[in-house]
Amino acid sequence: MMMTLIPLLILVPLVAGLAMLLIRNDHVRRVIVTILVLAIGAASVLLVVAPDAISFTITAVSDHSINLAMNLTEAAMAIFVLYVGVHSRRPLIAVLMAVQAGLMAWFEYGSGSHPEVSQNLLPATDHFSVIMALINGIVGGGICLYALGYMKEYHEVAHTDVTDRRPTFFALLFVFVGAMFGLVFSNNLTWLFFFWEITTLCSYLLIGYTRTEESRRNAQRALMMNLLGGVAFAAAIVYLSRNACPLDLQGLIDSAKSGGSSKALVLLPAALLCFAGITKSAQLPFSSWLLGAMVAPTPVSALLHSSTMVKAGVYLVLRMAPVITETKVGMLVALVGAVTFLVGSLAAITAADAKRVLAWSTVANLGLIVLCGGIGTYAAVWAGVLLIIFHAVAKCLLFLCVGLVEHKIHSRNIDAMSGLIVRMPAVAVMMLIGMAGMFLAPFGMLISKYAVLMAVVDAAPVLSVFIVFGSSATLFFWVKWMGKLVEVVGTPERVRNEFTLGEGLAVGVLSMATFLACLLFPMISSHMIVPYVTGVFGEHAASLTQGNIIIMMIMMAMVMLFPLSFIRYGRGPRVVAAYLSGANVGDKVQFLGSGGKVENTTMNNYYMRGLLSEIWLSRCGVICCTCLLAVMVVIACQ
Amino acid sequence: MSINSWISLVVYLLAAPLVGGLLVGWDRRISARMQSRQGPPIFQPFYDVFKLCKKENIVVRRSQNYYVALFLVFVIFTGGLFFAGSDLLLVIFALTLAAIFLVLGAYKASSPFSFIGAERELIQMMAYEPMVLLTAIGMYMVTKSFQVGDIAGYHGVPLVFLLPGIFLGFLYTLEIKFRKSPFDLSSSHHAHQELVRGLTTEFSGRTLAMIEIAHWYELVFLLGWVYLFFASMPILGVAVSLLVFVLVIFVDNVFARLKWQAAIRSAWAVAAVLGFGNILILSLLR
Amino acid sequence: MFGLKQSPWVIHYDASSCNGCDIETLACLTPGFDVERLGVLNTGDPKHADIFLVTGAANEQSHAVIRNIYDQMPEPKVVVAIGACACTGGIFRECYNISGGVDTVIPVDVFVPGCAARPEAIIDGVVQALAALMDRRKAMKALGKNVDQVLYSRAESADAARILSLQKTAHQQEGTIYGEEHVPGLVQTLPALEVELTQRVFIKATVNGRLVGVARGYAQDRTGFISDVIVHPYFHRCGVGRRLLEELEKALPDMNRFEASIGDKCVESAAWLQRQGYELYKTDSWRPAIARVYFQKERK
Repeated sequence: MMMTLIPLLILVPLVAGLAMLLIRNDHVRRVIVTILVLAIGAASVLLVVAPDAISFTITAVSDHSINLAMNLTEAAMAIFVLYVGVHSRRPLIAVLMAVQAGLMAWFEYGSGSHPEVSQNLLPATDHFSVIMALINGIVGGGICLYALGYMKEYHEVAHTDVTDRRPTFFALLFVFVGAMFGLVFSNNLTWLFFFWEITTLCSYLLIGYTRTEESRRNAQRALMMNLLGGVAFAAAIVYLSRNACPLDLQGLIDSAKSGGSSKALVLLPAALLCFAGITKSAQLPFSSWLLGAMVAPTPVSALLHSSTMVKAGVYLVLRMAPVITETKVGMLVALVGAVTFLVGSLAAITAADAKRVLAWSTVANLGLIVLCGGIGTYAAVWAGVLLIIFHAVAKCLLFLCVGLVEHKIHSRNIDAMSGLIVRMPAVAVMMLIGMAGMFLAPFGMLISKYAVLMAVVDAAPVLSVFIVFGSSATLFFWVKWMGKLVEVVGTPERVRNEFTLGEGLAVGVLSMATFLACLLFPMISSHMIVPYVTGVFGEHAASLTQGNIIIMMIMMAMVMLFPLSFIRYGRGPRVVAAYLSGANVGDKVQFLGSGGKVENTTMNNYYMRGLLSEIWLSRCGVICCTCLLAVMVVIACQ
Repeated sequence: MSINSWISLVVYLLAAPLVGGLLVGWDRRISARMQSRQGPPIFQPFYDVFKLCKKENIVVRRSQNYYVALFLVFVIFTGGLFFAGSDLLLVIFALTLAAIFLVLGAYKASSPFSFIGAERELIQMMAYEPMVLLTAIGMYMVTKSFQVGDIAGYHGVPLVFLLPGIFLGFLYTLEIKFRKSPFDLSSSHHAHQELVRGLTTEFSGRTLAMIEIAHWYELVFLLGWVYLFFASMPILGVAVSLLVFVLVIFVDNVFARLKWQAAIRSAWAVAAVLGFGNILILSLLR
Repeated sequence: MFGLKQSPWVIHYDASSCNGCDIETLACLTPGFDVERLGVLNTGDPKHADIFLVTGAANEQSHAVIRNIYDQMPEPKVVVAIGACACTGGIFRECYNISGGVDTVIPVDVFVPGCAARPEAIIDGVVQALAALMDRRKAMKALGKNVDQVLYSRAESADAARILSLQKTAHQQEGTIYGEEHVPGLVQTLPALEVELTQRVFIKATVNGRLVGVARGYAQDRTGFISDVIVHPYFHRCGVGRRLLEELEKALPDMNRFEASIGDKCVESAAWLQRQGYELYKTDSWRPAIARVYFQKERK
């Protein structure tokens, strides 16, 4: 078996992760994790620069033995999940797992054909996979580094009641990272499914890390919904094998491109795969598992539930784009994404818990990417890949910063973050960079949203209404949060030791990455995204014109002038108190109330709960999207 | 960029504050006449700005004025982009960026009145943004281009006949963008305040002058956008722009201020029905 | 002076008025009198206003409020006292809680008598205030340009009135923080100041004959005590305070050390003193709930 960089990237974290179970000593773990993270990061970068750098052969391992190992592992996982379903009295979990296992067993040992898949793994020239691998390696690595310091504080200071199972925690993190590498490089659908299942299991175990009743419940819900997607995935594989269709990604896409009956044949499996992607990326009606997963510690939220695992779902949908483009199935998938985007953005306005806001925002942005996949044109897929990159980096940064803030001020409420710019200046600035990266021109997400709008307007103008309403909603909740960070009431105390070295390194690198991704996006586009999309669609279309790129660069330059404003010179202005109708007392925005009592002013954000009810919104979204998905499956069956 | 766009850009940069200030002066005079008063001289806004530049600079937090400076810069940039004929979506996004700087400056001032003013301003932005984006999309669907230059040079039927719903919706949002009753939620120009001065409470002197000048630039830019609906008949376009301005003043004097819930509900309803309806019909006709 | 005269923005405050003068003031905005044609705008925000219209006599509760609003107005600013009560206290002058007209709290530029003052009189008062505003602006501009031409000299008893006025202006913010009765500079009367002028060393800073800063101190037992250094708010951060302190130290020769004390909440003054080479050495309680911090500097 040929061991190039890609198999190494898959195996090393997997094996190292399992080995982490044995390491009890914190210092040893620190050293090993650091080395691993640096190695994985370097290897990811090497993948872009010099993919053939490492190459050697191991004769002991053959394809057959790999398949056997996979089957054994899958069986073990199935038994574990069945046990979980039975033990926790959630029969649905057991039933779903049984169905899934049954389908896969039918596939393996049933009478259908087993087409030979020549290439189990995608080559390093597949730029989309390389982009995903880069994200996984750098962002994932950064999070593992961050988790070192974070979990130490988590167990020793913030949550002393939670049993310290850090060996398991880090083991799961690394196993997950390895599985993600496997997922993005798999060409063979059964291999993809294998890694998919590992990520589901990692997610279940990590959400339930704290072992409280709440976390157990949420972990089970996540497991159940992901299993539903798994059942769809398995059904797709079975269908393909029974109808003598290719069982690999490249083959599926080629079938679709050749058109006619072979395209119609692969439409149902593609729809099922999209269904699986939709559950994994927590689109409506399956969003509740992601919102519930926020009980897990912050590194879990950052890694699994914003940057990487949920990206696996949209990755699959985007891969299926050439198959479902210009079909009714594609339009329905796009509608699901659009509705999710709108509902998610509106719901985020009502949330006061920072992690809940980030979770809804994640759901919404994934909806945008699913929208791109559903529309499936050149421009749409280009925009979708760009969205993945920017969202992964910026959202991860935000989650990590919220974790740091939570530890220092002991609250996740947005209103408690008032004055953060003087209490924790470094973290506050990085949060502002992250938020700007999420919605503000000329930063990353805006460029992507602009591209999405362009793509949608050409292909399906009617969908644009969802985007315009959703993006105005995103404006509201991001800016009110930014405002809370910069407002300063009185003279709050500065927090010492905002972060440890590892944490600081991770968030610093991510801020840099957000920044550089915006600055260098023309280069990223021309070197990585355009080759991929051209390879898939064959044609070459203009994405963003030169003129627009120049304008965005000018805007970026002007925004960069802002930090200069902090240089003080000359006499400066006269500082007086805020206007409180003349009743000011002292310098902390206090005033003399009735009865001669000194009152504090509290300034809380608008959450619009009278206008927008989160429950009502998600209920409507769930009903709407369930109908859409049902219609989609029905149409695809014909 | 062609010579024409350079010329219009330069003309905009130099003439917009003058034209904007005159229009605001006429605004106050017409409002006064509608209220059976004399009203100030039409150059009053310029007197106001000159006076403000001579006042001392007072702040609550030392960095609050920098946000306003960037607000002014970006508003000018937005108008400049528009008159240079550039991409309409980028123009909208740049304007949003500008407005966000103003809101952040108000947040920075850390005072209750400016805080509520900032929140209300965000609600206003959320209210008009869908319609504004739908306007750009509607214009794209007719002229096949987002470039303002192409839209302005469109030689077919005037856009307003193909985009009647969008035009009406746009007029509705103009009322919000000009911060006039019934939508002067965040800061009111005239003496009727609800939150002292709302957004601009804690700004004084030169900074307040900057906000005023930025509003003039924005005014000219928005009326220019109204002109785009009639671009193939230029004289009619200019006349309609001015007429729209008078209509906005009239509505301002007739209506009382709406609550923010009513503002956002009505604005989104208008965007959904008129804006989306128009686009739906256009896409079916294609 | 384009602009200042044509665009007077007004803030109106009712101290303890019966609302008679207030109604007359607001009547000026109605179509009958229409002051907006003069460019007058009734802003409710001191930070936007040039002219402070006060009605009603100054009672205990409104002292702080008047001072607060006045402090939050940017220069150049003028004050118009409208109505008999605001001018002198009117018929309520003898009441226990009335200290008198508004000029007992802040310097007033125009007095509009009447009970209630008529709109025509009010408008006339505003117009005259405009003239005072222009003067104020001219003086500020001249002073602003000539910072390097500040003259430092000993103050004489003839300067007492101007020093008192400067004192009231400069201590506004302290008054807001502590309450005016606790700030000596605000409660001092003219006779007391004249006596102090003969007993203590006063150094004044003037530009074109206008007083912009005063420093006072005295010597006792080889220690020089810096009582006070005040500079007009418009002249902060120009180096005037530093020069005044230097001149005062020079005027108290043969001292081993200098001592100065300020209220503990005056963070900026503390920082400024430390920049002049003073070090904190003692904190003491001066009145209930008010502490003073003491700084000293060794003479080299």
